[in-house]
Parts: sequence; C-alpha cells; structure tokens
Amino acid sequence: MGEEIKGDFEPKIVGFTCNWCTYAAADLAGTSRKKYPPNSRIIRLMCSARLDPMFVLKALLNGADGVFFSGCHPGECHYIKGNFYARRRIAALRTILQQFGLDDRFKSYWISASEGEKFANTMKTQSEEVKKLGPSPFRGKIL
Amino acid sequence: MKGAELNSEDLEGALKGLLGKGVVDCLVMPHRAGKNVSYMLVKDADKIESPASAIFAPSFSVNAANLIKGWTIKEKVGILAKPCEIRAAIELIKLKQMEKESVLLITVDCAGAYTNQVYAEHYADIGDEVDSAKIKELEGKGITIRESCAICENKLAAVGDIIIAKGAGGNVVVAGLTDMGVDALSALELSLEDKDLERAAEKEKIAAEAKAKLDALPQMGSVEALEEFLQDCIVCKNCRDMCPVCYCKECFFELPLGKPTGGDLLNLAELRGAIGLPPGQLFYHMTRVYHVSTTCVGCGACEDACPKDIPLTRFYPVITKKVQDIFEYVPGKDVEEPLPFTAYEEEELEDKLR
Ligand code: SF4
Ligand code: SF4
Ligand code: SF4
Ligand code: FES
Repeated sequence: MGEEIKGDFEPKIVGFTCNWCTYAAADLAGTSRKKYPPNSRIIRLMCSARLDPMFVLKALLNGADGVFFSGCHPGECHYIKGNFYARRRIAALRTILQQFGLDDRFKSYWISASEGEKFANTMKTQSEEVKKLGPSPFRGKIL
Repeated sequence: MKGAELNSEDLEGALKGLLGKGVVDCLVMPHRAGKNVSYMLVKDADKIESPASAIFAPSFSVNAANLIKGWTIKEKVGILAKPCEIRAAIELIKLKQMEKESVLLITVDCAGAYTNQVYAEHYADIGDEVDSAKIKELEGKGITIRESCAICENKLAAVGDIIIAKGAGGNVVVAGLTDMGVDALSALELSLEDKDLERAAEKEKIAAEAKAKLDALPQMGSVEALEEFLQDCIVCKNCRDMCPVCYCKECFFELPLGKPTGGDLLNLAELRGAIGLPPGQLFYHMTRVYHVSTTCVGCGACEDACPKDIPLTRFYPVITKKVQDIFEYVPGKDVEEPLPFTAYEEEELEDKLR
C-alpha cells in the first residue's frame, strides 16, 4: 500500500448503503448497464440508522481513500424515521471529521431504488473527487 | 425564583438540615482536606463543618456526577457541586443513568478552578475562594486555572434544583429552580422570598471572555496535527473512566474488536504490515469524541486524568462544542430538552450532507 502518486492512483472507497434504496439502485445501475468506476466496495445495511459512525471512522483509519454513505430520501425510510436519526449522526460525524481535514473523504447521499442512473453518476463524480484528493493520509502508516 | 440570603452559619445549618430533616438520605459534597478539598458522602449532618470554606474552593478533583453514576439505590442522593458537574448529572438523567426524582441537584457558583495539585501547592495565595479579578491577579504570578475552566461559559450556578450563588459580603443566595428545589428549601424552614438574581450582564461577560480564550486555542486542522497531539497516548482510557458522560457498562474498547490482543493483533499487523502498540489510539479517541459529542460538558476531567499530560481539553470540549453548536444544544441546560441524537426535525441539516 501507499506508494501511488496523487491523481494517478485507483482510490479505494468503502460505501455503506441502505438495503431498501441505494443498494437496489446499485443493482439497477448494474442490470441496466450503466458504467461507473469499480472503486467502491459496498456494504449493505438494513437502514441508514444502522450506520454507526464508527464504521466510517474505522474505514478511514484503515486507509480507505474515501467513504460514502447512501440511504433513502428523508421521508422515505422503509422504517419511517431511520434516516432522520442517521442525518443527525452524520452531521455530528462530519463536524468532527472537518477538524482534521477529513471531511472531503466522507460523502453522504440520498439515492432511491429507482435512481440507478444517479447512483452511477454519483460513483463517477466521487471517484474523480477522491482521485483529486490523493491517497488517504492514513495509508501505509503505522497506526 | 424563590430563595433566601444566608450568612455562612445559616448556610451550614441549611445543609445540615437537608440531612436532618430527611430532605435527602445522603449528600455528596466537597469537604476540606488540609490544603485541598475532595468529595465526601455524608450521612451524619454533624460531619458538615464550615461548608463555605469547601464548596466554593476553586479546586477540581473529579467530576462529582461521575461519582454517583449508575447507582441503583432507592435512597435520595443530594449532590452539591460546580456547574459542569451538575450539568453532567443532568445529561446522565437524560441518558437514563439516574432518576430525576432520586437526586437533588445543588449547583454552586464557580469562577474557574485549579487542578488539585496547583490548588494545594498555592493554597496560601489562592485561599478558600476566588473571583475573576483574583484569578487574573494570580495569573500574573503564573498560577493559572485549568484550560477547560478558562473556556467555560457556564460558570454561574443556573441549573439543577437549587442554586447557591455568591452574594454580597460573604453571604450566599440560596434559591430553588424546580418544585423539588423549592420544596426542599421550604422543608428547611427558610423564609423564602422572590429572588431575582440579575446576572444577565455578568453571564454575558463570562461567556465573552470564555469565547475569546476558546478562539485563542490552537486548532488541529489536519491528520498530522492529530497524530502529533495523540502520539504519547498509551490508551489507558483513564480519560474515559473519569469522564462523567462516558457511561457504557461495556465499552467497545474493552471488547475483542476494540481491544484486540494476540492472534487478532497479528492478523491486523499482517494486513497492514505493521500496527502501532498499544493499538487503537486514534480509533479510540475519534470514537469517544463522537460518543460524547453532544453530552460533553467541558469539565476537563479527562485532561486532569491523563497520566501523559495530553491537553485533552483541546480535543474533547473544543470539538464537541462545534457539534453541540449545530444542534444548538447546551448539555445539562435543561433536563426536559431531548438529547440531540434522540430527536430530529423533518427538514434540517441538509447542508451537512454532501
Ligand atoms: S469547567 Fe466551568 S463550572 Fe467546571 S470547574 Fe471549570 S469553570 Fe467551574
Ligand atoms: S470528555 Fe472530558 S471535558 Fe467532556 S465531559 Fe468528559 S471528562 Fe468532561
Ligand atoms: S488518559 Fe491520556 S494516555 Fe490514557 S487513554 Fe486518555 S489520552 Fe491516552
Ligand atoms: S430503510 Fe433506507 S434509510 Fe431507513
């Protein structure tokens, strides 16, 4: 790990997505053959509210160049209000990450099950953005 | 507000009365221990001697809320402590770590506190109590209050069931803020009258001074700065143990995933080539700061507890304040206000999602 030059490396991105929306959107993007970069490893959660901010911290500290989270649009959570709670947690986490310049490496989206195209485009933009940021500051470090 | 002005003798009588008249079954409060003060748990009212010399003493030992956290007793506990400690107790009530009805919270005015060590060493200079002018004067001699106190906006007693505010000429004003507090004072047979402690201007001045101190603290800003800040941390977790609002019975960092040993560590080392020991410095603090992000009362007990002298006030209270600001939440201000993570508004915070 760790020797790649900024802008010229394949970022590793860890994504946490809700089963009922974004995970299905990723599926839809796949079945409808929308192209997007293969940098993301997606981990399925049953709801936004299952996103423990520790997951994001752990991924970042283990050297993920980017981390994203994506759930159902507010008001459309399968369990009614999971994403309202998640939004508060994410806001707190983001505020903490900002203190160390890590904010840009964490993205959060709302992508519904029918938004396969949005998913593919989001993955594309994100991959480009993380490429621009360069490798994670934690890569290769003895932590 | 219903209250009464008391001299130090009457104050002693009133505190003794809390026990003597059965308002509380026991009382946690500071007592003089030579040049220092520490907490005691009192059952016998006669053990309360010249409380005025101890309750305002600008010395911080532990956060008193941490001392009574998680007690499962049916007796009623009175707790007399500084604002940050009572605010922590109020957060613990909201976190269901104690029952609101089972505690009588008594807050004293605070001007800022020294560490126990500094206080004992300079007791001759500091004395039994200080005000902001005295703190400035001592600062000139190199005797400084704790950094968490320098940036503390909530020094005036304003929360809990009863407040004990400093009055004129060595007197105090005791006032009830809640029904429970007023009932307690009535049981003491104090002649209560309407007390309006006009302290808005003082409060503003304290807040402005605290903010100026906070703004003057160095900002971390980068991962490198964070790593440097924490490089001496031995992950002893004293900062967690002394933190009043870190309350999990089973902390993640005591479980195998959070505290890997042996083969698990070898696997991690294999994965990354090498890992730091003891493991999890950054993960522990980043997680803990998130966990206390809305409830940290900025008491600085974590910094006091650190054997490696890491200035944790520059991490915990400084960062958590930023989180609390986005929710416009002041921990311990109002026992009825929901914890930010247990509430939401349908339309909010979209600017934090990107
Ligand atoms: S943090 Fe505030 S309330 Fe607590 S001891 Fe310091 S000045 Fe007093
Ligand atoms: S994190 Fe530190 S400052 Fe905040 S409540 Fe806990 S001990 Fe006090
Ligand atoms: S008390 Fe100090 S050394 Fe111990 S875990 Fe906390 S920061 Fe690290
Ligand atoms: S089910 Fe998708 S956010 Fe709750």
